[in-house]
Amino acid sequence: METVDIPILSLLIAFILLVIPVVISLKYGLKIVKPLFVSIIRMSIQLALIGVFLKYLFIWNNPFVNIGWLTVMIVVAVFASIKSSSIKITKIFLPAFLSFFVSTFTVVLYINVFVIPLENIFDARYLIVLGGMLLGNSLRGNIVGISTFYDSLRTDSKHYLYVLSLGVSRKQALLPYIQKSVQLALKPTLASMATMGIVTLPGMMTGVILGGASPDLAIKYQILIMIAIVVSTIVSVVLTILLTERVCIDKYGVLRTDVFRIGKK
Amino acid sequence: MKSSTPLIEFKNIYLSFSKKNVIQNLSLIINKGDKVVVSGKSGSGKSSLLSLVLGFIQPDSGQIVFDGTLVNEKTVWDLRKQVSYINQDVSLGDGIVKELLDFISTLKKDNYSDITVAELMEIFDLDNDLIQKNVKELSGGERQRLAIVIAIMLNRFVFFLDEVTSSLDKHLKNKVADFFLSKPDWTCVIVSHDPVWLENPIVKVFDFEEGKWKQ
Repeated sequence: METVDIPILSLLIAFILLVIPVVISLKYGLKIVKPLFVSIIRMSIQLALIGVFLKYLFIWNNPFVNIGWLTVMIVVAVFASIKSSSIKITKIFLPAFLSFFVSTFTVVLYINVFVIPLENIFDARYLIVLGGMLLGNSLRGNIVGISTFYDSLRTDSKHYLYVLSLGVSRKQALLPYIQKSVQLALKPTLASMATMGIVTLPGMMTGVILGGASPDLAIKYQILIMIAIVVSTIVSVVLTILLTERVCIDKYGVLRTDVFRIGKK
Repeated sequence: MKSSTPLIEFKNIYLSFSKKNVIQNLSLIINKGDKVVVSGKSGSGKSSLLSLVLGFIQPDSGQIVFDGTLVNEKTVWDLRKQVSYINQDVSLGDGIVKELLDFISTLKKDNYSDITVAELMEIFDLDNDLIQKNVKELSGGERQRLAIVIAIMLNRFVFFLDEVTSSLDKHLKNKVADFFLSKPDWTCVIVSHDPVWLENPIVKVFDFEEGKWKQ
């Protein structure tokens, strides 16, 4: 079964649907017309460019180029996840990058080597597509994880110092904050996994089915990707916290105030 | 006599917060067994003396020596195991009192204690059914007394007490002060401007703003 192609002209017809949010915005004074069109135009241009880029990436299928591109994707994801927190990017970029790099590559290569298994484990179709999917979820998890960890340490600083004063180790004092951050970061993934197939038909499955594969195969891939997502999200969140706390908390166990961006709560 | 053995030594300490000088060239020795009250206006930064010893803040220059050992990022972890500290805000966190007490009992230096938790709670007028409550449900005075019970439970000999009687009535203030000041082996550094401490004849009063002992 082949996927039905969408001619460019037909795709333009899809854009007509945007009249609806425009009318709603004008009627209720939502002032979202400009940001809506900026986002739509950005999304279309970015996807068109990446479409061309991916086409060549798949044709070349050079392991070094593939690894390089996934690394670029990791850099962007790390920037996005730190930017939403109150920590200065320069302070924790390197440890966060290391965490994303290790968690993404370990899980993708494990799948490519042991589960699928591929002849070329750096095949663009698997390395980049699977890696991208894991990164998107690690990004969401880390946005919650990093912010929760540092914000709760900051707002709870008096209690944290009291616990330190009792003579506990650094690890013991930080443990409740690590637990809370990881639990919160994983919550959306666990909730969506628990309702999968009933409430949601995930993007990957939809894509594989639309791509012409049987639902059986799509489901097998979906189960695989969900396991990979949970593992890479938890590994990346835990690693990011463990590696960045070495930078953000001093050798006396006290949270450094100079790692926070001024005015960012 | 232990009283002539130095326990805490501040040597030429300078400390500033946001370019404002809080401590300038402070040198101070607190001996073992001393009962020292640090007095001064609110907001003058007198609590920072305790934070300096515990390594929560670092001096701009100068040294702190605790029991003969220079306080630094390596030694501070051991030092904290020898001190019982109660902070001004009594930040005992969230959770059931019993769980908190169970956790504290895992941190005790040794299991031997000549006084039980139940006895301590009775001394400081705390109801026994309070242990089933959440810390957050307790009143300011109850939290303060619970923090005192915890500090004593830890079986340590050095006490840093930061405004520990501020939410207590006169009767309880006297009880707390009498309890701490009657133990000759305990070294107590008390940050307070409460007369219950300041007017007790056995305490030495250190005037934080003047940087010297009061006669």
